[in-house]
Amino acid sequence: MTQLRVGLVGAGGITRVHVPAWLALGAHITVYSVEGAEELARRHGLSVADSMEELLASCDIVDICTPTTTHRDLAVAAAQAGKDVVCEKPLGRSVAEGLEIKEAVSRAGTQLYPGHVVRYFPAYMAAKEAIDQGRLGALAVLRFYRGGAGPKSDWFYDESVSGGIIADQMIHDLDQARWLAGEVTSVYAVQNAVRSPETPAEAHPRRVSAHVTLTHKSGAISHIQGVWGPPTMPFRTSFHVAGDAGALSHDSGADASLDKDLVLDATESYLPPPDLLESPFLTEIRDFANARLGRSESRVTLEDGVMAVGLADAALESVATGMVVPFSEASIHPAERV
Amino acid sequence: MATPPAPSLKIAILSFAHTHAASYVRQLAARDDVELLTSDPDGQFATDAGPRGADFAAAHGVAYVDTYAEAFSWKPDAVIICSENSRHTDLIMRSAEAGAHILCEKPLATNEADAKAAIAAVDAAGVNLMVAYPVRFSPAYRELKSLVSSGALGEVISVVGTNNGWLPTRRAWFTDPEFAGGGALVDHVVHCADLLDHLLGSSVRRVHAVSNRILHAARKPDVETGGLVTMTYENGVIATIDCSWSQPETAPNWGGLTLAVTGTKGSVRINPFATHLGGFDVNGAAWIPYGVDLDSLMLEEFISSMVDGRVPLPDGDGGLRTLQIVKAAQESVATGQPVHC
Repeated sequence: MTQLRVGLVGAGGITRVHVPAWLALGAHITVYSVEGAEELARRHGLSVADSMEELLASCDIVDICTPTTTHRDLAVAAAQAGKDVVCEKPLGRSVAEGLEIKEAVSRAGTQLYPGHVVRYFPAYMAAKEAIDQGRLGALAVLRFYRGGAGPKSDWFYDESVSGGIIADQMIHDLDQARWLAGEVTSVYAVQNAVRSPETPAEAHPRRVSAHVTLTHKSGAISHIQGVWGPPTMPFRTSFHVAGDAGALSHDSGADASLDKDLVLDATESYLPPPDLLESPFLTEIRDFANARLGRSESRVTLEDGVMAVGLADAALESVATGMVVPFSEASIHPAERV
Repeated sequence: MATPPAPSLKIAILSFAHTHAASYVRQLAARDDVELLTSDPDGQFATDAGPRGADFAAAHGVAYVDTYAEAFSWKPDAVIICSENSRHTDLIMRSAEAGAHILCEKPLATNEADAKAAIAAVDAAGVNLMVAYPVRFSPAYRELKSLVSSGALGEVISVVGTNNGWLPTRRAWFTDPEFAGGGALVDHVVHCADLLDHLLGSSVRRVHAVSNRILHAARKPDVETGGLVTMTYENGVIATIDCSWSQPETAPNWGGLTLAVTGTKGSVRINPFATHLGGFDVNGAAWIPYGVDLDSLMLEEFISSMVDGRVPLPDGDGGLRTLQIVKAAQESVATGQPVHC
């Protein structure tokens, strides 16, 4: 079998988990990035492309790991070049961008897989399976938490670029809520951003939290809390899912399978700590690679990516207006409303 | 030489409608500085399996009278009101008139007008009104409060509170809108709301709530059984309370209360009911709580405030503020939009 050729765009934080996953699948990676490409390539033995054109010419599948505002142009360019695409979440900065990507991909007849990696975290997969088996009965109330040290780069905190914590971080749990409890009919959100003493005056506030409340078509209600905390805050996620026949919960901070007490340098990564199990990023990228070859359906689809951006958009609108925002698939796809 | 007995306080427990009455009866009966009398005239009309009224008092070995009038003519120094929520106000008025200090089960009332009338009555009578929020006295909460007050947590940004429990089935009135004033939103928002009232010292600017009746749907409840209430405070803090009766009936314990507080310098999570032995007994999964009894600490505050001649906390004003959050949450559910306070 010929070696899978991956064109990686970007060399930032998330590539540290994407690259090992692709390499584990035996892929050859070429990286193109406005900065950091040489260093990443040196560390992992990758090739470097000097332009997007060169990258597209060298690969079968494009992996977009760049800041959110560039996703649309890169994804559209990749699709037009006939490439399949893995695109980090959020798919685009807005639903409009997401729909542009979807149209370009569908016109090109290629595939795009949005990186909603939480669907590949074992605890969340186990919850999904238990729910689908009916072990909780009808879902009623769901809670999700995701928090830790805020990201280092300032663009994350600039809502006009990233959509802020809701579009960048909480989109994981917006997708989870929809995955576990189904389509959403209304969205309410509040956000609080505070300037910490060490934040430079010209930078955006770096202590950020938002709460999003979703009402699902089934009648279930979901709450999502996101936190970008101080650099010392450990990354942690949790959920509690209650149905009329039972309730399940998980807290990543309470995983007791390995308990270490050693003198170590504190890790400064905002990424999830290494797990004893397979990297969920590898599980995800393998799923995408298999789906691309037609071996299976991917667990997350382009449409899921569009809907997640739609939920983030609605939440941002609610933060801005202070009102509850109605939500439906039709409101995301106005052209199909007819 | 034996020390002379402490001056005895006469305390009357009015009604056994609330399940906490059993705890108060036990705690007070065990104290040698309290003389206890009980009355539960409405118990005979309750549809529950019981016991209520004289049977309940006899089971606990405490003195009992058939009417509230007899209880008031006993001239109690204080009363503890454990009636159905909608009957709190009337008993507060009568107790104030009788010159008794009052500890009232939460919520203070089922509507704001009643709560304000109750506060006015106790103010006019010059008696104390304390609202039963025992979690305030938990060591975990006190530590959280001190971490916020000392600045160790920095500026508070965001809070999630949970007060999930079994559906209260031992007393039918909890799910009767007429007596309870609502369902899970009434029963399980106020504890967390009171902690936040005390912790943040800021008033609520906006309230949003959603609710449903999916949990325990088979019982066809007349009230909501699940709910999520989000509050925005004047100081910018955002907080959400999950008040759902979502503790499964198969769970070995009633439920609990948690508060996760995030500040600019980190986060603190408390779970005052977490101390327990876990394991298995003849019934399967076991949950054996240990540690301080919060009702006992709360009663100590109520009693010592009388002995010391000071106002106990949480007071009626706090009871009113937490009730206002519940009413705003109910209005938000009805309108589908947030409510500005």
